[in-house]
Amino acid sequence: MTATKTSKHTPLYEFHRTHGKMVEFAGYDMPIWYTSTLEEHMAVRNRAGIFDVSHMGRVDVTGPDAAGFIERLFPTGIGKQPNGKSVYTLLLNEDAGIIDDLIVLKAEEGKYLLVVNAASKEKDLRHMERVGAGLDFKIDDITETTTMIAIQGPSAVEALQPLTPLPLAEMKRFTHAFSTVKGINSVITRTGYTGEDGFEIIVHNAATGAMAIWEALMRGATPCALGARDSLRLEAGLPLYGSDMDEETNPLEADLGWVISKDKRSYVGWQRLASLTQQGPSKVRRGIVMDERIPRHGFKVTDKSGDEIGLVTSGTFSPVLKRGIAMGYVKAPSPQPGDPVKVVVRDAPSDGRIAKFPFYDDSVYGWKRKPHQQ
Amino acid sequence: MSNPSPYLVPDGLFYTNEHEWARVTGGTARVGITDYAAKTLNDIVYLTLPPVGREVKQLASFGTVESIKAVSELYAPLSGTVIGTNQELTNHPELINQSPYDAGWIIELKPSILESEKKSLLSPKQYEEVLKSLDADHQS
Repeated sequence: MTATKTSKHTPLYEFHRTHGKMVEFAGYDMPIWYTSTLEEHMAVRNRAGIFDVSHMGRVDVTGPDAAGFIERLFPTGIGKQPNGKSVYTLLLNEDAGIIDDLIVLKAEEGKYLLVVNAASKEKDLRHMERVGAGLDFKIDDITETTTMIAIQGPSAVEALQPLTPLPLAEMKRFTHAFSTVKGINSVITRTGYTGEDGFEIIVHNAATGAMAIWEALMRGATPCALGARDSLRLEAGLPLYGSDMDEETNPLEADLGWVISKDKRSYVGWQRLASLTQQGPSKVRRGIVMDERIPRHGFKVTDKSGDEIGLVTSGTFSPVLKRGIAMGYVKAPSPQPGDPVKVVVRDAPSDGRIAKFPFYDDSVYGWKRKPHQQ
Repeated sequence: MSNPSPYLVPDGLFYTNEHEWARVTGGTARVGITDYAAKTLNDIVYLTLPPVGREVKQLASFGTVESIKAVSELYAPLSGTVIGTNQELTNHPELINQSPYDAGWIIELKPSILESEKKSLLSPKQYEEVLKSLDADHQS
């Protein structure tokens, strides 16, 4: 079973162990659910949920050449962004393969906080050291000295506001600010991985204060675990690094071309990206909604006549749609939303159709939803 | 930890190592998955079941049960012919989580070699032992 002894613990481990079903994930002992993935999922869609995301890597980048280093590292023009922006971007290799996806918090020119995937952190750091050779800057891995909690859902503002003096309703999406949460110095960023409005809080010196913050948040939000985190992000159409993309995938294939700043040059991978942009991708990440059955990682996708056109990279049951949903890669020219496809579920070709992201109606669910008329 | 098992294991049923149960009444057997299986899978959202009339073999797969996260095979506790499936599960697969031994039954069989096959199934006491050894693995 799980290698409990060698896995790391987050500052909220005792809560998880007592209340949740534990699994090993990216080197950490983490909860897969507390009570029910379905209930946790719908708590986030309808109210608010909290997630311990302390396993995510957190890395400070500072120093005289930090701004230049950041420009060299990413396809997104972060230099021209105002201070306080939280930018979703990608780390690319020379072939424009995706090393990781991450959020860069630009505190100010020369001062950045990168939030990376747990399983990718070590390779990200190696890549960053290679790219930064000769530049004067410092990388500090602050993962172990901070706690990170996500609060997500339409009532995230109400649930978090009592704990912080920061006026949350005034914050724009994809911005962040330094403040306190229950009196503890924290970074609050209006980002997340569920499709909903919400925040991610990075709490400093957290070992003592994390549990108090978690318990205070529980007054307005439901504890949610990795199972719900995965079904929520999939329903929102957000890719998972390692499943839906890796170093063999480029941003155009991953449907993440929007992170590339067109006017930008001289970052790792840009020459390859320039020629790829000319050629166009040979496969593209797309969503599929099933009539019946649940697609899973590795299942084949065919056109309606049965010819193989792609592979599922993530699949689950959508609690909102009450159907199987998937994302995967289909050959270009890729089918468009509404086009029929089949997914081969354990030898049975099963009907589905290409869907747009997010899978749900974004006027009813997600951060774009219209305010409730009650 | 030597706590009593947190899972229900009712008397009067036959169990498999793969966490199915069979309730034999007269010449038929109702089949489902155990409380342990239902709790371990967490929310059950989908089933693939055999048509009525299908022959199943003891400990061979007769269908699948799916949670949000994973697919699991369903193994027949007994050989026989499928004479019914629980239609309620089509729209309410959560019945398996709520009532794994009653409302959440999955198929009904007409066993073909009941007397000899019964002997290879586990008693409630033996199945409790299986759960205890699984629990010990988790704790080590």
